[in-house]
Amino acid sequence: MSLKLRAMRRWLPKRMDTLTLPSARDEAWRWSDMATLEAAREIKRVAGHVGSTARIGDGPRLVFIDGYYDPDFSEPGDLTLERVEFTSTHPLGQFAAGQGYELRFPPASFTAPIEIEHVVVGEESHLPLRFVLDDDAVVSVVETYSGGGWSNRLSEFSLGKGARLMRAVRLLQDEGFVSIRDEASIGEAASYVATFLGAGGMGSRIDGFLRLDGVGAFAEMGGALLTRGEQKQEAAVAVHHAAIEGTSRQVWRAVAADASTASLAARAEVARHAQKTDGEQSLRGLLLKRTATINLKPELEIFADDVKCAHGATVGELDAKALFYMQSRGIPEPQAKALLTHAFVADALDRIGEESVRDAFKADADAWLEAAL
Amino acid sequence: MLQITNLHAEVDGKPILKGLTLTVNAGEVHAIMGPNGAGKSTLGYVLGGRPGYEVTGGTVTFAGQDLLDLPPHERAAAGLFLGFQYPVEIPGVSNVQFLRESLNSQRRARDEAPLSGAEFLKLARAQAGALEMDAEMLKRPVNVGFSGGEKKRNEMVQMGILNPKFAVLDETDSGLDIDALRIVGDGINRIMRAPDKAVLLITHYQRLLDYVKPDFVHVLADGRITRTGGPELAHELEAQGYAQVAA
Repeated sequence: MSLKLRAMRRWLPKRMDTLTLPSARDEAWRWSDMATLEAAREIKRVAGHVGSTARIGDGPRLVFIDGYYDPDFSEPGDLTLERVEFTSTHPLGQFAAGQGYELRFPPASFTAPIEIEHVVVGEESHLPLRFVLDDDAVVSVVETYSGGGWSNRLSEFSLGKGARLMRAVRLLQDEGFVSIRDEASIGEAASYVATFLGAGGMGSRIDGFLRLDGVGAFAEMGGALLTRGEQKQEAAVAVHHAAIEGTSRQVWRAVAADASTASLAARAEVARHAQKTDGEQSLRGLLLKRTATINLKPELEIFADDVKCAHGATVGELDAKALFYMQSRGIPEPQAKALLTHAFVADALDRIGEESVRDAFKADADAWLEAAL
Repeated sequence: MLQITNLHAEVDGKPILKGLTLTVNAGEVHAIMGPNGAGKSTLGYVLGGRPGYEVTGGTVTFAGQDLLDLPPHERAAAGLFLGFQYPVEIPGVSNVQFLRESLNSQRRARDEAPLSGAEFLKLARAQAGALEMDAEMLKRPVNVGFSGGEKKRNEMVQMGILNPKFAVLDETDSGLDIDALRIVGDGINRIMRAPDKAVLLITHYQRLLDYVKPDFVHVLADGRITRTGGPELAHELEAQGYAQVAA
């Protein structure tokens, strides 16, 4: 891939004049925290770059400040960012529609893990991104959200035959709101795996629709939402099996402290002809305080008759017997709680294949636990 | 070493221990035997500080400190070890991680330097080997998928690593076959038979006492110690039953 990066000027941050936001009366948005989203738009802009997170590896780095690519902070290597137009009818995705960027990965290419940083310095920012993986391309992406304000993202993924995309996304904004709308089309024998970690102080909505279009496709979307204070985070995702022999996994964990709310809604849809589908959903919540709330909604919509779809949803508290057992061995209560909670969250973060990325995400989760317990 | 005086305790408002008095000196092994529901396990949990086991009267002094005043992890750091009748499974936390955190927490509480990963692994492998436990089991989540006997053996490995001054072992013999019983018995003797240590064995049966010879045997019935004797008392209990002897 040749280096081709147009020098880009900084655009003025985009601002919506009027917002028509989804209402809690709509079933798909009943747990959404649109009040925090609106308040995030009013967060005052701070001058200059608010700093970026530590690098995980030495692959390409793409930094987006307020939704615009910033070549000064980026190290794109061989990557080419093309500007393209986006459209969307999604209630939040539509605000991000318009001019955005596309990244293309040629057939059978292999790219070192790409680190994408979304830095927001206040108010609102919107960005549409498209990833196009040609046949057999292998791509790994780590995305980090930092700063404060409303970050609204629309991401599209197109995976050709045998392509593999591994994504790890962490929401670490100090305040504000992150809304993510992901749409993926997964081709024959292709694999799409996305793991999210919500461990910042912001509100969030992770919204996804993964379509298994090719025979034998694999789709996974999951992660961990950690909430405290009065924070509300939410994941609302759906996988749609449109071809035979597809496999999907939705493994989500929620940990809620104080008076916070974490909500997980995961749906698996199996079309009439999508026989031999293998679907699995595991939604589990851990309440650190009885004043916290966890909402879980596993949904299956199956029209084919030869499928295997398992689902489980449970909410509980830390095991008092395990806590005492650990304390009786000398571990103080806060550390015992942290170990048990870490183990609970690890289930979801262990899905991240790249060890350095997994370790970085676990460290973020541990930092959250230390502050919350 | 341990002085229990007129101890009263209740669970869910129901009195279980009703004036229990017992003194254990350094270098001694005491066995507590008694029928189901007598309060044997409650005694263990009260000494360990389990929430929900409320002390309503009496005192417990351990190595010169008021034991009941300490939270559970400080009791452990002071040298108390509670061997559980039903060791708890902890999915997602490996034995190595759990035990290293336990030992180093205790060491920090005693102002001792924590062990490095390598130092700890060497110690853990030696203790697992002495109890004929496969070192691979150290990597597995705590007690998850372990058989009843493996869990009890794991308790002894933990005791070997933590090296306490005083161990309360609650039915450590239950769920063990003959060979495992010998291994566990040998482990208790090796780790705890020392002039500056002591053991309180809670058991239903005489068979563990063939391997770990007690200095004193007590009968616990209805929340109190009703008889005290030497090892021969265990044989008498085995032959005649609790109803006869404890009355």
